[in-house]
Amino acid sequence: MAMALAFSPMALAQSPASSAKPKYPPMPRTADGKPDLTGVWQGGSNRVGTWEEANDGPGIGGTGTSAPAQASAANRPAAAVREPAPYQPWAAAKVLEFFNRRGIDDPDAYCIPPGVPRITTFGLFPMQIVQTPQTVVILFEVYHVFRIIPINAKHPDDLEPSYMGDSVGHWEGDTLVVDVTGFNDKTWLGPTGTFHSEALHVTERYTRVDYNTINYDVTMEDPNVLTKPWNTHSTIMLRPGTRIREYECSENNADLERYEKLLKDDSVFRRK
Amino acid sequence: MILRTALLGWPAAVGLLLTAAAPMPAHHSFGAEYDGDKPITLTGVVTKVEWTNPHSYFYLDVKDKDGNVANWKFEGYPPSVLYRTGWKREVTLKTGDTITVFGWRARDGTNWAHSREVTFADGKKLFFGPPAGTGDGGNTPPVVVP
Repeated sequence: MAMALAFSPMALAQSPASSAKPKYPPMPRTADGKPDLTGVWQGGSNRVGTWEEANDGPGIGGTGTSAPAQASAANRPAAAVREPAPYQPWAAAKVLEFFNRRGIDDPDAYCIPPGVPRITTFGLFPMQIVQTPQTVVILFEVYHVFRIIPINAKHPDDLEPSYMGDSVGHWEGDTLVVDVTGFNDKTWLGPTGTFHSEALHVTERYTRVDYNTINYDVTMEDPNVLTKPWNTHSTIMLRPGTRIREYECSENNADLERYEKLLKDDSVFRRK
Repeated sequence: MILRTALLGWPAAVGLLLTAAAPMPAHHSFGAEYDGDKPITLTGVVTKVEWTNPHSYFYLDVKDKDGNVANWKFEGYPPSVLYRTGWKREVTLKTGDTITVFGWRARDGTNWAHSREVTFADGKKLFFGPPAGTGDGGNTPPVVVP
């Protein structure tokens, strides 16, 4: 690693820029001139390459074959760069309590859809984007969930609270801006304990900046629990050759039964 | 990391340091169920493999020094993750295989553990589950502690 870092500037300096063949094609565009987001992607990562290449080393979820066997979760790469979550004091205390209970209250344990933006930063599973001029569809392997994002449409006026919310999109230059509302209060925003209310309003900005990379900038607003909008930045990386597989969460969800036993005495798992 | 810091410049680098590194969420908290301070390595014979969601399991008959056999249960990644990382159903891990598994014990003290690394008879190693503490929030809460 140290060698690669030391030598790469030299290698760059020695390559004649005019004759250097770019390793990757230019950022693709659709017939209507928009960046084409179509493809299979991995959120929560900033590494270029196939799934195997990009998840070597500690990798997302520790899947890389050369990862140290004893790596702790805390030492792994961050899924996203975040400001500290700006929760109101009473709400911050509640988040901290979830954290101290080591995430045993995670709603995902119930095999329900994880909400937005959390589902996108689940880097352990790929997502597939299908783009047309009228609609962008995102298919997620994890939880077998999909999002339908109509372009230049308005939210329906009869929304009922839902796990994944209601999404509408529009283009601002080369950025796809997605407005998401109509959430229930049963999901977390990302890190352990980051609960929200039904007032949650999420604005996502997808900017494909090159062949491999979508910049994923998210603003979360919830005046019931936050003091100000919460902004996060992460990248979504193209994963050539990867396909979406089936993940049917409720097939054998043995965790809840075990949780019931653990929850009878939280001193067994609670942070000291 | 040095290169990255240089590219970003100091203000951005300081910003990165200040933001909590957020560990990956998981389907559920391995950290709540398993004790990262209780690593365990066992060798035994596979008695059953469950390729199921949200998590896969295998069972291992482990003999102690007196010859008593105990059956252990190990939990790990869902099938889709295992397939992407080199596992093949009915090929990589089969009933009757002798393997060595490294992982962490369940907090309830039963014969049950979170598997991390499996070593096969030919010496090949693969990960069956994530690192210790996955899903438990890591070392830093996402909010500033008053």
